[in-house]
Parts: sequence; C-alpha cells; structure tokens
Amino acid sequence: MKNWWFLRGVRKGILTEKTPKDIAEWSTEIEGKGVVNCPTKAIENGKWIAERCIFCRRCYPNYKPNLNYEISIIKGTQKLFKKSFFIYPIDAGSCGGCNMEIKLISSPQYDMTRFGIFFTNTPRHADAIIVMGTLTEKMKEVIKEAYNAMPEPKLVVLLGTCAISGGILGEAIPLEASVLIPGCPPNPYTILDALIKVKGGKK
Amino acid sequence: MKHYKWSDKGEGRKIGKIGNYCLYDKVITEESCEETNLSPDAKYYGAFKFVYGPSAGGLLESIKFDITTDGERILNINSIPYKIRKIKVTGLSWEDALLKIERINAPFSASHIIAFLLAIEDAMNIEQDYQTQLKRIALLELERIRNHLFVIARLTEAASLSVPTFHLLYLIEETNRLIGKLCGHRYFFGVNYINKVNCNFEKLFKILDIVKEFRLIFEGLLESRIFIDRLQQNGILRDRDSIGPAARAAGLEYDARLELNILPYKEIGFKIVKAEDADAFGRFLVRGYEIIESSKILIELTDIIKDNTNTEEYKAINDEGEGLARVESPSGDLAYYVKIKEGRVTSAQLLSPSYVNLKSFMKSVKGTIFTDFQFNWESFGIWISEIGVNLE
Ligand code: SF4
Ligand code: SF4
Repeated sequence: MKNWWFLRGVRKGILTEKTPKDIAEWSTEIEGKGVVNCPTKAIENGKWIAERCIFCRRCYPNYKPNLNYEISIIKGTQKLFKKSFFIYPIDAGSCGGCNMEIKLISSPQYDMTRFGIFFTNTPRHADAIIVMGTLTEKMKEVIKEAYNAMPEPKLVVLLGTCAISGGILGEAIPLEASVLIPGCPPNPYTILDALIKVKGGKK
Repeated sequence: MKHYKWSDKGEGRKIGKIGNYCLYDKVITEESCEETNLSPDAKYYGAFKFVYGPSAGGLLESIKFDITTDGERILNINSIPYKIRKIKVTGLSWEDALLKIERINAPFSASHIIAFLLAIEDAMNIEQDYQTQLKRIALLELERIRNHLFVIARLTEAASLSVPTFHLLYLIEETNRLIGKLCGHRYFFGVNYINKVNCNFEKLFKILDIVKEFRLIFEGLLESRIFIDRLQQNGILRDRDSIGPAARAAGLEYDARLELNILPYKEIGFKIVKAEDADAFGRFLVRGYEIIESSKILIELTDIIKDNTNTEEYKAINDEGEGLARVESPSGDLAYYVKIKEGRVTSAQLLSPSYVNLKSFMKSVKGTIFTDFQFNWESFGIWISEIGVNLE
C-alpha cells in the first residue's frame, strides 16, 4: 500500500495557499530614513531602488523590510497569455538562488499551474524567457539564440538583481524586459505575482 | 594555519585542487593536483556526436555535454560549463568579500560563507565562541537537509513520479520558510560574520515535522521498483578521489565533519552514513539517511544553542596571515585558503565540491545509456555556479 502514491497524494489534501504565509523579510520592500552605506547604491536620496538591492542588510536598522512582496516592476502585459503562459528559464550566470526560487513556484504551496503558468523545455514553445544571473561571455550567444527561437508575441522576464542591474557581481542582461522581478533571490510569492500580472491574469 | 600544515608531498586522503595547490585531509602541497585519467576520445564504428545543453529544460543550469554515442550507449563524454563568472575579492575587506562569497552558490551558501570565515579567523588567529560554532553547525545541517530533499526531488521528477516530487517540493519550500523565519533570508545571505551568526534558533525544532514527513516519502520510494530500477547499477563509481555522498555511497568513510576539529561535531555526535553499491541508488540512500541524521543533530542543538548569549566582539590577534578551512557541504568537501594583510583579502582560493563531483560524474557516466543520464547526473548534486567561478 505504501507505494500507492495517488492515495498518498489525496490523503495529504490541498496544500495550495490563498494568502501568503511566512515570507522571509529580506526579500521584501525596504523603507526607512537616513544616510546609509549601501554597496549597490540602492538607496538614493532616501528612496529605495528595488532593481539594485541585494538584500544585504547594511542599511539596517535605518531601513527595514516591510513584508510587501509585490515589488515587481511591470513594463508591459500580454493578455493573449491569460489562459496559458509557457515559460522557459535560462541561466546566464546565476548563483543558483534564482534557479531554486523559480523552481519552487511549482511547489504545492504556490501551484503555478492553477494560474495557467507552465514550464517548457524549449524556447520554441515558450511565450516568455526568464533570464537570471549576470551576463557571462559564453551565454551571450545562447540567450540571443533562445530569444530568436521563441515565436511571436514573446516576452522577456528578468529575474533577480543580477539580471536586472548586475548587482555586485557583474553585468545586467541587455534585453528589453516586460517585467523586472527584484530580489536576491526574489521570493516565490514575488515571482508568481509578477508572472500573473504580466500575462494579464487575475489572482 | 592552525588546522593544516604545508608539506612537500601529499599525505592522507586527497581532497582536490585548491587554486594552485593540492589539498589533502591535513596538509596542503604545491604539487600539481590534476589527474588526467579520463581516456581520450577513441574511434568507434558508427559512432556520432550528440550535444546536450548548454541551455535545456532538463538542466537547471548552463552546461554543455558533447556525447559520443553509437545509438544508445554513452561511449565518451566531455563537459563544458557555460556560465563563467569572474568574482573579484582581492583588495576587499572580509565584510565586502563576504557579500560576493555568499553569492557564489546560494544553495550551498552556508557552506561557502562558513568555510571562508573559518579561513579568515584562522588567518587572524581568532578563537571562536562555542555558541557561534554550534550555530554554524545548525546552518550547515539545515542546508544539507534542504539540498538532499532537492536532489531526491530531482530524481523522482526524472522518474516522472509526480506525487513524491510535489510532496518533496512542498517540504523544500517548508524548509526554506523555516530558514527564512530563523534567519530572515531563505539562503542565509547577510547573517554570517566573524564569530557571529545572526539567526534566532528558537523555532529550530520545527525541522522535525519536515523530516518526519520526509521519512514516509523515503520509505515509499524504497519500495518503488520503478524508481529503484532507474538508480541501481547506474553510474557506478569507486574512486578514492571522490568526496561527499558519492564517496560514502562507495563505502568510503570520508566526511570533513569528523576529520577536523574545526567545528565541534564530535561532541554532538553523529553517524557517518554509508552504502556499498557505489551507484546512483547508493548516493540516493546516503542522502536520504543523512537527512534523518542531520535532523538528529539539529534536535540536539535546540537544547544547547542559547540565543540570549550575545557573542562578544571578535578580537583579532593578527591582521596579516594565511588561513585554510574545510567544511562538509551537502555534496562534499568545500575549502577556502585565504591570505590577508591589514585586514584585507590579498588572495583567496576555493575548492568547490561540484568541481570534484563533475570529474567523478564524468568517470561514472561512460558505458551507461541515455535513459540513465539524468538520474546519474542528479545523484551527484552538482552546481555549475560554483564550478564556473574564477575567484580573483
Ligand atoms: S539591503 Fe543592502 S543593497 Fe539593499 S538597500 Fe539595504 S544596504 Fe542597499
Ligand atoms: S540575484 Fe542574487 S540569488 Fe539571483 S543569481 Fe544573482 S546573486 Fe544569485
């Protein structure tokens, strides 16, 4: 009986969450006052710039995270992907953190498929590529090829501070993006929220 | 260099190449560490080349495999990591270097940061506070549990066993949330300093619930022929130069936790988990039982970690010197050798477990068939992030 995975799955019940739970502080919006020595200049004239923040806590306690995870920057949406949205993650030069968090949006807690979001194994079937990590020499060509292989209309998602601004480790990804998902790494809630918004869907 | 000595030639267990040097269990040498026993590409009748990667859905990171095959068998294989990051730490203070070190490989970031800090403390001759040492063990064991759950989830996913895969992903997410609750960050960024760990371990006991659930999945997998058949006799590797779960799966009692007195593992006490068959199944077994062992260590720690003991500011005896430290990361030995001057890093060398494991994987994969590939690959728990780093 132990092998009866189906029954085991049913017995576990529904684990998907309607409201966010247990978000790690240091992946959410940062607020505060005062002069701080921010290594990426993510605080300028008292304003927090999400795209540059590596969540290192050097600004603490003058600045503190406020648990708002909806920090993505939407630059354009594509309603055509409302019902089904196929994404192809591509790693330009990451530390593995962004890779883990994008994988985790498929866990039962987030269950990306209920919003019509699916992973695909090839850019040829992708509606969006999700690029993470800093731009490394050899991957330049690979990213270009993956982008060109996608059918129109197509979207670009930049995931994590490395891809958006280069963070402290290198160069940003030089692609025009429809959405920027800040974080180092971004929280799965932030990623899911951003993807739902960019495909013109509702939570 | 409290834990290591310079030597003319290697003695004891060989760990691997660290920068321009070769590291053994207690000594470091200047001899060349490279081994070139990967056989050259032979000519096979009817063989052709097949490329897998560098960017493919089945691979989590960017790496390219050039495979020579005559249809189904892998006759020869070459691997080329595709994402090479130059990370400059020389000239930086240890605090600034830390920001970069913790971003070499987030899934193993506790191992990287702790090995680096232990090396810096060695160079500066800083005595660690006992509570800091215990807290560091807690981070390393939490990281081991998360990683092993992830490797097993990748294995069940490759076998298209959806229920255990999603159940394991659920547990990985729960572990990440627990880490986030204890340390404020799901990958331990910004919590480690010299002689200090900035986490609150009050809720550490919650790991027990996660591991209890894992045990049921693990028992189920041990009875699943569909799953076991994919792993047994796949990627057999008996190699004295292997490390971590790959070595322990071949019955070798290699574990940095008990070889060095750098962290007080011996006082807490734990069993080294071993298997005999040296295949992907052995590596899976070792990881599964290690999750249970790590949870026992963590439960012991809940009694002895006292969060109210404020770690004192560190007192450095030197601001110039060299230090070397090695820890047992989830995939085996990980070491840093650093030199500092006036409190700044003047050189840093890294031995990453994935570099050693990639070589092991390449040895084990020849003669296997395509359908074996994914299972064998995942069983080594390799991260390209830490292989593709040029530390400058
Ligand atoms: S967390 Fe670090 S990077 Fe982000 S604003 Fe604060 S100091 Fe700057
Ligand atoms: S943004 Fe942070 S977590 Fe993501 S790849 Fe870069 S360093 Fe890693």
